[in-house]
Amino acid sequence: MRRYVEGAVQLLGPVALVVVVGILSTTVSSANRIYFLNALVSVAMVVAIYVFVGNSGVLSFGQISFVAVGAFAAGVMTVPLDSKKGVLTELFPLLRDHSIGNIPSLLLAAGIGGLFALVVGLPLMRLSGLAAGIATFALLEITHNILQQWTKIGPGATTLSLVPQTTGAWQATLGALVAIAGAFAYQRSRLGRQLRASREDPAAAQGIGVDVHRQRLWAFTFSGALAGFAGALSVHLLGSITTDQVYLELTFLTLAMLVFGGLTSLWGAVVGALAISGLDSFLGQAEQGVHIGFKLDLPTGSRLVFLAAIMALVLILRPSGLTGGGEFRIPGLRRAGPREEAPAPPA
Amino acid sequence: MPEPVLELQGLEVRYGSVPAVRGLSLEVGNGEIVGLIGPNGAGKSTTLHAIMGAVPAHAGDVRLHGRSIRGRPPERIARAGVALVPEGRRIFSDFTVEENLRLGLAGRRKRNGADPLQQAYDLFPVLHEFRRRSAGALSGGQQQQLAIGRALVAEPEVLLLDEPSLGLAPMAVDAVFEALRQIREREVTILLVEQRALHTVALADRTHVLAGGELRLTLGPADAANKDKIIAAYLA
Repeated sequence: MRRYVEGAVQLLGPVALVVVVGILSTTVSSANRIYFLNALVSVAMVVAIYVFVGNSGVLSFGQISFVAVGAFAAGVMTVPLDSKKGVLTELFPLLRDHSIGNIPSLLLAAGIGGLFALVVGLPLMRLSGLAAGIATFALLEITHNILQQWTKIGPGATTLSLVPQTTGAWQATLGALVAIAGAFAYQRSRLGRQLRASREDPAAAQGIGVDVHRQRLWAFTFSGALAGFAGALSVHLLGSITTDQVYLELTFLTLAMLVFGGLTSLWGAVVGALAISGLDSFLGQAEQGVHIGFKLDLPTGSRLVFLAAIMALVLILRPSGLTGGGEFRIPGLRRAGPREEAPAPPA
Repeated sequence: MPEPVLELQGLEVRYGSVPAVRGLSLEVGNGEIVGLIGPNGAGKSTTLHAIMGAVPAHAGDVRLHGRSIRGRPPERIARAGVALVPEGRRIFSDFTVEENLRLGLAGRRKRNGADPLQQAYDLFPVLHEFRRRSAGALSGGQQQQLAIGRALVAEPEVLLLDEPSLGLAPMAVDAVFEALRQIREREVTILLVEQRALHTVALADRTHVLAGGELRLTLGPADAANKDKIIAAYLA
């Protein structure tokens, strides 16, 4: 019973934060709404990355590959048929002659993201540390170039447009909540605990029967599915996408979000995604010039300079992130001491 | 001697070109405690790691019920019924006591009626008392009990312990040895690596003295009174 109360409290923080942002998005002008919805989609992406990186302790630069695959799968399959035959003429007939609705598109993106992660994870999950980081970076490069060049599966180097913009306040909020709920259920499951134990001490975990390779593969696959789903949310928010939008800058931004909030907790992933996304939007506007009591006009490019500097500062000053790497807790509501609830042990 | 559960046959382990264990053969029978003592660097921990598959055996064989387990990865050896309580305890300090015990279930092969967590709690009541606490907040002796409890929830046939008394206060050391007596009564087969030679010789059915990676001498419980013999064995 206590276990569930504790869990409910931990989930409360991320859920409340996302719901508040979702509600706020409906109160602002339609020009500003995109920033709020973008923040919610970022939550879904960062939570997806967290599922693997946070629980396994293995760094991956490759999770945006699954966002990209999900975004293009969802985008290509939802462009209305009559427009598709006009602009995406080189597609495989199966892709060219079919079109699906919003929900099937989200599910398809999750399925393809997960399947792709499973296939590449089989060899990649044998690596750890520096080798894993570099190999997942290679994965990002491979995915990017295939998507950019292969016009039988997508738009290639051109912009994919005319994607139905179905990600409004409802879909963005619910999408972020689905990712959070999935990540939370996973990390409290037997499998999630085994992986987190291997993050703390791989040798000790193996010694008690944890198959570290297999547990990493499950997390990588689930992370890929959530990332694909987040990619679909994103493409349905923007209505158009290019391969460069799901490449290096997004990889950097989402990792900065995760590091900023705290790598090892779901709460950290959500807080980091919202905080950095908000800051990113603000700096982006400041590059165009904004009035905040005075006119702030930053030189072009300062957005990423600031964000990178913040990421470096957090790593130096507070390596476990803004949340300290712990889950959400209500201050003052601490774990009850054993004396208050455990029956006296037999002498 | 009861039928051997765990057998080492001419086990050789090398780190690079440096031999750590040289031609070690021993048997541990069902429900026995066999001790392995010797000076630092004698190859005691390496022997346990080789049984567990954490370091490769260069030659020789490790057999469980007569079947070779050499070359298998640690998690498969754990699931075959061998559990290691590692040196330094290696509990997961971010998890609660109960979560640590549940992790031990990863190595469990069969499911019978008894609740394995309850069995661990019966053996170590303090773990039950503190089951919701973070494992990192336990004292050294309690952490050692947790490490042993975590190995036991997998219901292993063979329990390997690597210096369970290391760094513990004298009372906590006694508690560990008392727990091992109780575990033996449950017909768990135990291979115990220790530095506390007198305690070990008194408890174990046989105690092998290892030095320079080789088996030098075997002592019985009767030798526990003979301190000189044990000391001589160490210095040999």
